Amino acid sequence: MFAIETEKLYKSYDGLPVLRGLDLRVPEGLVYGLLGPNGTGKSTLIHVLLGFLKPTKGSVYVLGERNLEHIRGRVGYLPERLRYHLRYSGREYLRYLGQFSDMREPLLTTRVNEGLRMVGLLDAADRLLGTYSKGMLQRLGIAQALLTDPEILIIDEPTAGLDPAGQREMLDLLTTVRDRGHTIFLATHFLEEVEQLCDQVGVLFGGKLAAELEVRSLRTPGRSVLINVSELQPELAQQLQRLDPAVRCSRHEIALQPNTPALQAQVLRALIDAEVPIIALEPQSRPLEELYLRVVRGEPLELPPAEPPPNSLFAPPGHPDALPPPPGRPGTGETFLRELLGQDAERDHQSNQE
Amino acid sequence: MKSITRTLRFIVFTLVEYARSGRILVECLATVVVFYLFFRRWTTPPPASYFFSTAGLFTLGLTFYSTSAMMGLGDRPQGYVLLVRRISRASYLLGLYLAALTITSALYGITSIGMAIYNPVADLTLRGWLLGSLPLLLNAALFGALLTLLAPIVLTAGWRLAVLALVAIAFSGNLLGGQTVAAIPQVIATGLSILRTIFSTPLLPAFTGFQLSVDRDYSGIHFLTPIAQLTLTLSLLSLAIYAFRRRDLIFSSS
Repeated sequence: MFAIETEKLYKSYDGLPVLRGLDLRVPEGLVYGLLGPNGTGKSTLIHVLLGFLKPTKGSVYVLGERNLEHIRGRVGYLPERLRYHLRYSGREYLRYLGQFSDMREPLLTTRVNEGLRMVGLLDAADRLLGTYSKGMLQRLGIAQALLTDPEILIIDEPTAGLDPAGQREMLDLLTTVRDRGHTIFLATHFLEEVEQLCDQVGVLFGGKLAAELEVRSLRTPGRSVLINVSELQPELAQQLQRLDPAVRCSRHEIALQPNTPALQAQVLRALIDAEVPIIALEPQSRPLEELYLRVVRGEPLELPPAEPPPNSLFAPPGHPDALPPPPGRPGTGETFLRELLGQDAERDHQSNQE
Repeated sequence: MKSITRTLRFIVFTLVEYARSGRILVECLATVVVFYLFFRRWTTPPPASYFFSTAGLFTLGLTFYSTSAMMGLGDRPQGYVLLVRRISRASYLLGLYLAALTITSALYGITSIGMAIYNPVADLTLRGWLLGSLPLLLNAALFGALLTLLAPIVLTAGWRLAVLALVAIAFSGNLLGGQTVAAIPQVIATGLSILRTIFSTPLLPAFTGFQLSVDRDYSGIHFLTPIAQLTLTLSLLSLAIYAFRRRDLIFSSS
């Protein structure tokens, strides 16, 4: 069963279309990330899913229910904006919210305390929400969303407006929540959130799902990579540059452009064999970022590199994590992506290979 | 049963927030001022008709302020977090309405107690107070229901204008003088008169309710007045809930 299913969903405001025939399916137990630029309809979709907005056309099913009144209490919602009733303490607020969900003692007290402990607000539980920082309010948001142990958690821009430390804190907290096994629907425009948290990602653009794929399939090496090393001897630099014209070396950096998994593995092996300390390996671009930018720029979609990722440089041959077989083999992310992205993208890919 | 419990909890939640926000001080201050201006001890005890007519108008004023403030309180994005719970839209709207009515009724009660202590009304027994207070508070409930219907979270701007136009037509008999009516073509004047009769009929319970609270005369068919007031109140509330449940929920500043 799908936790969320929309069929040809349209939503307009005063005749201005926002969602235009959106078909979306989010399987149960999955963490689904919905990417899209600001104003593309992510929050509108969430409000339709929660029953705040009525679809102009099309159908919406959440947890198999078409009547969204029936799913109240089975859905947790973390809104985008940090707007809560600030004249209550954290504990009071959660208690009221629990009561509105028909929770009774002693379960109510237990859940409230568990939630506050989980988000690290137990010490601040009796302070008014008006005295909380943005990060604390957002953490309280997680606690309130999980209060009733919902079947699905709908999260709208969880790190918007937070400073970098707050963003990191929030992502760590959401990782903990994900590990509890909830179905999560996350709308965001931050790629890092999707890469870290999600199993599947869809890109909403023009009121439709412009692309959808498994995040796992995007975990390929970057198309260009910069390897930072402590110091590179000239002999080793020459040896590396002889491997492939794509390798360019300086004293402290090795650039691989264009990069391939096999080339990256070769270079890394050479560095390790020569006992050169590797300080960092920085992808200069990310497949998800590239895909996202292509969608929002209206450019034709292009496949990520055909070769599957070398999951481990050191895995022995035959091990599931071993270095990849020759390019273009079936049963890799390539096949999956081709199915998802369509024939045009496949043709582009083939011409690129040629 | 559960929905009643949820509504009651939401009323408490709303009242606590309203009190902590300090907005209730406006109503409290207004009550003190009105009490000082109109109800403080004079040379002779005030007659009951004076008390009920003055308190009736004051209660309507309080209802206007409290209901508007409460609807504004409900028209904030904070409401999304509440409405994703088991509180239905009907409970949410009713909760806001009843919270406002609670404040109005409580302040009317305090005013009455103040009168009983500092400036007892002449010849007003507890029974008389109850008989006068019933239509008075029902009028407040009726006015509050109308304001709830006209709240921006309930009706869209177009519908609000339409309802206000109907109310204006109903009151047009008091607004348009004889000369103005004489200047209007006969056909339009007749049409206006018919419309006024139609649209002012629902207002009858409000006017007769006010009269009933002043004279407390329940003889004849006057005993039906509170029933008519209650029926009209429930009708307006039903209309408001119907509209609120059907519309897109887009709170202000969201």
